Amino acid sequence: MSLYELLRGPLLWLAFGVFIGGMIVRVVLFFQLSTKKDKPIYRFFSWKWLWLSIFHWIVPLNETAKKNPITTAVGFIFHFCLLVTPLFLLAHGVLWYESWEISWWSLPETVADYMTLITIGCGIFLALRRILLPYVRVVTTTADYVLLGVTLAPFVTGYLAYHQYFDYYTVLILHMFFGELMLVVIPFTKLSHFIMFFFSRAVTGMEFGRRRAPSW
Amino acid sequence: MAEETAFDPKKFKEAVEEKTNARLKMWLEICAHCGLCADTCHFYLANDKDPKMIPAVKGKRVLEAFKKKDKIDEEFLEDFYWTVYGDCTMCRRCTMFCPFGIDIATITSTGRGLCVSQGKVPENLVKTIESYYKHGNQMEVSEEDWIDTLQWMEEELQEELPGATIPIDKKGANLLYTVNAREPKFYPMDISQAAMVFYLAGEDWTMSSKGWDDTNLAMFAGDLKAASYISQLVRDAAEELEVKRVAITE
Ligand code: HEM
Ligand code: HEM
Ligand code: SF4
Ligand code: SF4
Repeated sequence: MSLYELLRGPLLWLAFGVFIGGMIVRVVLFFQLSTKKDKPIYRFFSWKWLWLSIFHWIVPLNETAKKNPITTAVGFIFHFCLLVTPLFLLAHGVLWYESWEISWWSLPETVADYMTLITIGCGIFLALRRILLPYVRVVTTTADYVLLGVTLAPFVTGYLAYHQYFDYYTVLILHMFFGELMLVVIPFTKLSHFIMFFFSRAVTGMEFGRRRAPSW
Repeated sequence: MAEETAFDPKKFKEAVEEKTNARLKMWLEICAHCGLCADTCHFYLANDKDPKMIPAVKGKRVLEAFKKKDKIDEEFLEDFYWTVYGDCTMCRRCTMFCPFGIDIATITSTGRGLCVSQGKVPENLVKTIESYYKHGNQMEVSEEDWIDTLQWMEEELQEELPGATIPIDKKGANLLYTVNAREPKFYPMDISQAAMVFYLAGEDWTMSSKGWDDTNLAMFAGDLKAASYISQLVRDAAEELEVKRVAITE
C-alpha cells in the first residue's frame, strides 16, 4: 500500500473515528461526572438561558465583541472559514463522492481559495496577538502555538496543493497528514472547545440567568 | 497571615479528587488563552496592567495545582495561597466577558478549598468559621445575648410604636427574618427598624432563636463542608418554625 493509499484509506478512517468517537466520549464523560458532582446545573436547568447564552456568543452579540471589535471579527471570520472551507470544498467533495457516492453543494474554487488565504491570514493575526500583547503572552504556552499551527497546517498545505507549488504528491501527503492530525488532536486538547463551548456557555448562561443577570 | 500547619500531600490529593467536577475540568481545559478577559479584572487595572493579574493566569495556577496533585511542595502552596487569596475577590466579572463563560471565581474558590485541606486559611476567617460552629453565627453572639438584644430592641420599639413586637420563634409565621450577625453586635437599631416596617405593613413574621445569621463566610474559604453546615442552620430553623419564606437581608 502506498503512503497515499494509507492516508486516504485506513488512517483517514482512524482519524475520523478518533475525532468522532473521542468527542462522544468527552460528552458522555461530562454527563457522567456532572450528574454526580455538578448538581446545580440540573437543579437550575433552563433551556431559555442555555440558548440565549449560546446565541449571544456565537453571533457575536456581547460586550466583549463591542470592546474588542477587531479581535472578535478576526476570530469570527477565522472560525467561519475553518468550518466552511473544508466542508464545502470541491476537491473534498469529489473524494466523498468517490468513496460514498454522496455529494453536496460546493464552493466555487476561487472563493474557496480566497477563504483559505483568509483563514491563514486570521491565524497569523492571532499568532501575532499572542506574541505582541503582554496579557496574551503571559498565558500562552507552547501548546497554544502548536495547536494554532496544527489548525493552520491543512490550510497552508491545501493551498500549496491546489496551486501545485512544490512537488504535488509530497504536498498532498503532508496535507492529508496534517488534516488527519488536526482531527485527531481535537478531542484531547483545548480544541475540544469545538463541542465544549456549547456546554460551557450553557452552564454559565444558566448560572447567571437564574440570578437574572445575562452573561453577555 | 496564614495559619501554620504541617504540609500534607495526601490530604491535598484527596481534596483535589473531591473537588474535581465536570465544569472545572472543562474550564481548565478549554481556556483558549486568548486574554479577552484581561482588562475586565480590577486587579489587572489596579496594578498598572500587570499581565500576571489577568483572570486566565489565576485559572492556570489552579490547573497547575490540580495537575500536580500530590507532587506539590510547600513553596508552591505558599505562592498558590497568595494567588487565590490575594489576586482574586471572586467577583465573577471576568466570567461575563469570557467567550466560553469560564468562571474564574468558582475556580478560585476551589483553589481556596484546596488550601483548606492544608489548614491554610486566613486567621480571621478560621476564627469566624469556628464561631459558626460554636455559636451558630459569625460574631460569637451567644443565644442569651441574642434574645436579650431582641427584647431590648422590642422595648425601644414599643416606646415609639406601642403594640409593635419582635416575635421570637413564632410557629407558622409567614416570614422568617434573618440578619447579618453584625446587626445584634454593632447595629441593633437596624432590627427594630425592620420590625417597624413589618408592623406597619401588617406582616406575619418572626425571628428565630437559632439559625438567624444569614452570612456565610465559609464560602470565602471555599470550605464547602462548613458552608453547607451554616446554610443548614437557617434551613433547620425555617423548617422547625414551619415558616413559608425566609428573608435573607445580606
Ligand atoms: C462551533 C465551533 C467553535 C466555536 C464556538 C469556537 C469558539 C472559539 C472561541 C470563543 C475562541 C477564543 C476566542 C477567539 O480567538 O476567537 C476560539 C479560539 C480558537 N479556536 Fe475555536 N471554536 C470552534 C471551533 C473550532 C475548531 C473546529 C477549531 C480547529 C480545529 C478551532 C480552533 C481554534 C483555535 C486554534 C483557537 C485559538 C486561537 C488563538 O490562538 O488565539 N475552533 N474558538
Ligand atoms: C484527511 C483527509 C484530507 C484529504 C484526503 C484532503 C484532500 C485534499 C485535496 C485532494 C485537496 C485539493 C488539492 C488540489 O486541488 O489539487 C485539498 C485542498 C484543501 N484542503 Fe484538504 N484534505 C483533507 C483534510 C483537510 C482538512 C482536515 C482541512 C482543514 C481543516 C483541509 C483543508 C483544505 C483546504 C483549505 C484546501 C484548499 C486549498 C485551496 O484551494 O486553496 N483538508 N484537500
Ligand atoms: S478565561 Fe476566557 S477570556 Fe480569559 S483567556 Fe481563557 S478563554 Fe480567554
Ligand atoms: S473573579 Fe477574580 S479574576 Fe475575575 S474579575 Fe473578579 S477578581 Fe478578577
